Amino acid sequence: MKIVAVTACPTGIAHTYMAAEQLEKTAKALGHEIKVETQGAMGIENELEENEIRQAQVAIFAVDIEIEKRERFRQLKVIQVPVQEAIKNPKSVFLRLQA
Amino acid sequence: MIELGHCQSRGDGRRFCRSHVYTGVVSDPGGLTMLGVFTMRGGHLPENPMLQSLHNLRKHLLTGVSFAIPFIACGGILIAAATALAPKTGGVADFTHAPKLKLISDVGAASFTLMLPVLAGYIAYSIAGKPGLVPGFVGGFFSGQVNAGYLGAILAGLLSGYLVQLIKTLPVSKHVRPIMPILIIPAVSSGVIGILMLKVVGSPIAHMMSIASAALRGLSTGNAVILAMVLGAMIAFDMGGPINKTAFFFGAAMIREGDYRIMGACAAAICTPPLGMGLATLLRRTIWSQEEQEAGVAGLAMGLTGITEGAIPFAAADPLRVIPCIILGSMTASVIAMLGGVGDHAPHGGPIVLPVVDRRIVYLAAIIVGTIVTALSINLLKTWSQKPARDMERVA
Repeated sequence: MKIVAVTACPTGIAHTYMAAEQLEKTAKALGHEIKVETQGAMGIENELEENEIRQAQVAIFAVDIEIEKRERFRQLKVIQVPVQEAIKNPKSVFLRLQA
Repeated sequence: MIELGHCQSRGDGRRFCRSHVYTGVVSDPGGLTMLGVFTMRGGHLPENPMLQSLHNLRKHLLTGVSFAIPFIACGGILIAAATALAPKTGGVADFTHAPKLKLISDVGAASFTLMLPVLAGYIAYSIAGKPGLVPGFVGGFFSGQVNAGYLGAILAGLLSGYLVQLIKTLPVSKHVRPIMPILIIPAVSSGVIGILMLKVVGSPIAHMMSIASAALRGLSTGNAVILAMVLGAMIAFDMGGPINKTAFFFGAAMIREGDYRIMGACAAAICTPPLGMGLATLLRRTIWSQEEQEAGVAGLAMGLTGITEGAIPFAAADPLRVIPCIILGSMTASVIAMLGGVGDHAPHGGPIVLPVVDRRIVYLAAIIVGTIVTALSINLLKTWSQKPARDMERVA
């Protein structure tokens, strides 16, 4: 499955990137293709391209704050989870894709 | 508890630590404990509408806080640096003969002035999107004008956001619709919020703020110790979670109000959990696994840069023994810092903020003692309870 994801925590220096790393690793293990955009204290990094969003089947938001440029995902099914869940239990995030 | 409940294997935790030793703001700021506790359970979004709205409220507050923290950092650090370098007249920094330092101090003051509008503006932005920014900024500005501080700014942000949200839902004819976001909403919402802040809610909140800061200034030694103990325990308890955030943002917000001791107590408490665990692994190598020893080294690095999260791998593996020990160490550090009058001008903790700390020797002493208390208590607990634990393994 092609997936796009966004992670964002309030401080944006640790949890944002921990969540991104977990999502990437778990997606790989489960055989999904994923690109994770981080919205940390440095702003948007690894930004999702328009065509990547268009080609994706689903978006995962692991966020505790309102994200920037949310309107890009208007056409896409979005699964939103707290940052902590992506860090502690990333498999359960992917289980929700089937639901 | 919340943060640690079901962590992944320790190896993962350790790897994170290594790859995420950034310098920067420690543990996530802001948030209200109650909301945090309500909404962090098990990591699932609450189904109950009451909990859902509390969860959303928390998200809006945290969005505002995440934009406001760098403003506190800029203001606190520049003003502290200018004040420290300026010549003193009667013990107070005197800028009359130091125009360049005055300039630096003014830049910091500008950042402090902007912090309230930014806090209020981005709370409103989180609630209502772009149209929320204008009334939020205006309301936050007035909160500063009437001395209603960060409480006033939070209120202004929430009121602005919900007001704009309400206006957006009003049925308007399609000829008026295009001018709603560019003319009507900014003018009407800012007018309402500005008048509310200036004439209605501003001064009662300003009154509350001044009572609160007078109470803080006049704290008796006993009460100061209790406050420091509570702050220290909160900082260590969930290492970057909602409870830690509450204490941290209280300290950070008080920097802008000119009281640096709250942040001073927090700053000392922030770094002792990872430092203490790191020291513990160095002191008695035999009771720690290879993995834990490596996590200990990473913990030391994170402790020095003021990132409480460095203790998470240990707390995740053994919460019942580790959490009480890091709480004890952090409480020790914050009490020493508070009694010694340590002030911290930056919204961050650990030895890395030493240049902007008042009473540096006491600050370092607080950190060292807190670290040693943490390390000794965990090693003692681990040694005492190691034998039974091994027996249980054998039975299992």
